[in-house]
Amino acid sequence: MGILYLLGLLVALTGMVMLDRRFRLFFWQDARRAAIVLVVGVLFFLAWDVSGITAGIFFRGETSFMTGILVATELPLEEVFFLTLLCYLTMNLFEAVARMLAHARPMSGGNAGAGGAARGGVSSGDESSGGVSSGGVTSTGPRPGRRP
Amino acid sequence: MTYWTLNALFLAVAVVLAIGARVARRSPRLLPLAVTVLVLFVVSAVFDNVMIAIGLVGYNRDLISGAFLGIAPLEDFAYVFGAVLLLPALWYLLPARTTSRTPAAREERR
Repeated sequence: MGILYLLGLLVALTGMVMLDRRFRLFFWQDARRAAIVLVVGVLFFLAWDVSGITAGIFFRGETSFMTGILVATELPLEEVFFLTLLCYLTMNLFEAVARMLAHARPMSGGNAGAGGAARGGVSSGDESSGGVSSGGVTSTGPRPGRRP
Repeated sequence: MTYWTLNALFLAVAVVLAIGARVARRSPRLLPLAVTVLVLFVVSAVFDNVMIAIGLVGYNRDLISGAFLGIAPLEDFAYVFGAVLLLPALWYLLPARTTSRTPAAREERR
């Protein structure tokens, strides 16, 4: 019984890893950046939690669903995994949504066909969306050969 | 210190980073951020209510505003906004992996 919540969190986290791997959303896109974002994110929310606990705003509930292992005063082990899940979900979701919107945009503009036709179906959508998604980073057009 | 005061402090940090990323990198884009917040808000509303219902967490009634979404204090949702402001901003502020700049890797990344 005591392991139930932790187990649920681990199952959800496994799902996040699977989605990340399948669609190259976060760690599978850039492992170093993802590691930093995840660690900083979890530490940020742990600080938030600890501040709230210290101020007496919230506290660990009395329940049989948790292991009872504490990583700090009133801070259950499960919270670390919960915050990891929150951060992982946020980044997976954000990347997925950003990609979907970037792919949807050129279709409504009607310019997905012409330029990319010779490069195959997959890259045609990619090239037109490339102008949108990489527009913030590089101001030049999506020409792979011009990469530094 | 009330729950809202605590949230304001941490949200301020997240907002500064988000503005920093928008200014320095012109990313992340606002529409995907808005959609992400919306989805996370719904997911947390469900999850948070379950967590509180089964007694995983308790609140000091004197320090929360008393505004609830179901049985979840409205303040809890500041975590969602904190996550969406902070994490993608951090992602864009960090330099991208240089080895992924080959054309093949760029195609793959999408």
